[in-house]
Amino acid sequence: MKRVVPLLVLLALPAYAETPQQILDSLVAQAGPASASRGEQFFRAKSSAGKTADSCAACHTDNPKAPGQHVKTHKAIDPIAPVAQKDRFTDPAKVEKWFKRNCNEVLARACTPQEKADFTAYMISVK
Amino acid sequence: MKDTGITWKNLLTLTVAVGVTAVAIGQAPADDDAIFPMPAGKAYVNECGSCHTAFAPGLLPARSWRKMMSELANHFGEDASLEEPHRLAILKDLETLAADFPHANMRMRRISAAIPGNAAPQRIIETGYFKYMHDEVPKHIWQRKKIGTPGNCIACHPRANEGRYGEREVRIPQ
Repeated sequence: MKRVVPLLVLLALPAYAETPQQILDSLVAQAGPASASRGEQFFRAKSSAGKTADSCAACHTDNPKAPGQHVKTHKAIDPIAPVAQKDRFTDPAKVEKWFKRNCNEVLARACTPQEKADFTAYMISVK
Repeated sequence: MKDTGITWKNLLTLTVAVGVTAVAIGQAPADDDAIFPMPAGKAYVNECGSCHTAFAPGLLPARSWRKMMSELANHFGEDASLEEPHRLAILKDLETLAADFPHANMRMRRISAAIPGNAAPQRIIETGYFKYMHDEVPKHIWQRKKIGTPGNCIACHPRANEGRYGEREVRIPQ
C-alpha cells in the first residue's frame, strides 16, 4: 500500500509531460547555470531586428503574469508565467516551437541555449 | 358539404398540421446560426489559432488556402513555416472544408460566389461577404484595444474557433 499511494498521486496529477523545473534542467544541461535576472533583462530588452514585435514584452506585456496580446493580430495571449498559467513550460516541444518562432521574430536569429535557460529561469522565478 | 366547418376530423388535421410545422421550424437552423464546419482534431486550432483566430476554412475558397499554405515562410510578414507533414495535413483540412467545397453550406456558397474565379484573396476581411456582413460596424469599434483589427474575429465572436459566428453570440468588448 505504501508503494501504491505515490503511484495514485502521480495518476491524479494533470497529464503534463514535464514540470517547468524539468524543462529548465534540460536547458541548463546544455547551457550551464541559468540566471533569472539575466532572463528578465532579456525578456524586456528592445531589439532593432524585430519585424513586428521589438521585444518579448511587446506581446507578453512587461508583467509575465498578465495576459498579453499579439501586436499585429491583437489576439489575446495567455500569461506566460507558469504561476499564472499552469500549462506553461510543461510541454518541451511547445516550448521549443515558440523559442524558434519568437526568437526569429524578435531577434531575427535563433536563441542560444543560455538565453533559453535564463528566460525559463526568470519565468519560473515569477511568483 | 359533409366535412366542412368545424368538425373533429378537421380540427385534428389542423392540429397535426400546426404541430408538424412548429416542430419543423424549431428543428431548422435559425438564419442567425452562422456555423462553419471546422477541421477535426486540434492541429489546426493549435498551429494556426495560436497567433490569430482559427478562421473557419469556409471563409475562403480552396485556391486561397493553397496559395497561403505555399507561402508560410512569409505569412503576412511573419515566418509561420510548419514541418512538411503538418503543413500538408492542415492544407488538406482547409481544402476539404473551403468555401467552394462540394458540401458547402449556404453562407459558404455566398462567400465563394462573391469572389471572382481568378482571384485567390488572402485576407478574409477583404472579401465581399465579410464587408457586407460588417458594414454597420463603425471604425472606432474596430480600434478598441481588445479588437484592434477586423481580423481579430474571436474578440467579438467568442466561439469563432469552433466555427460559430452567429450574431446572437456577438459580444463587443468595451
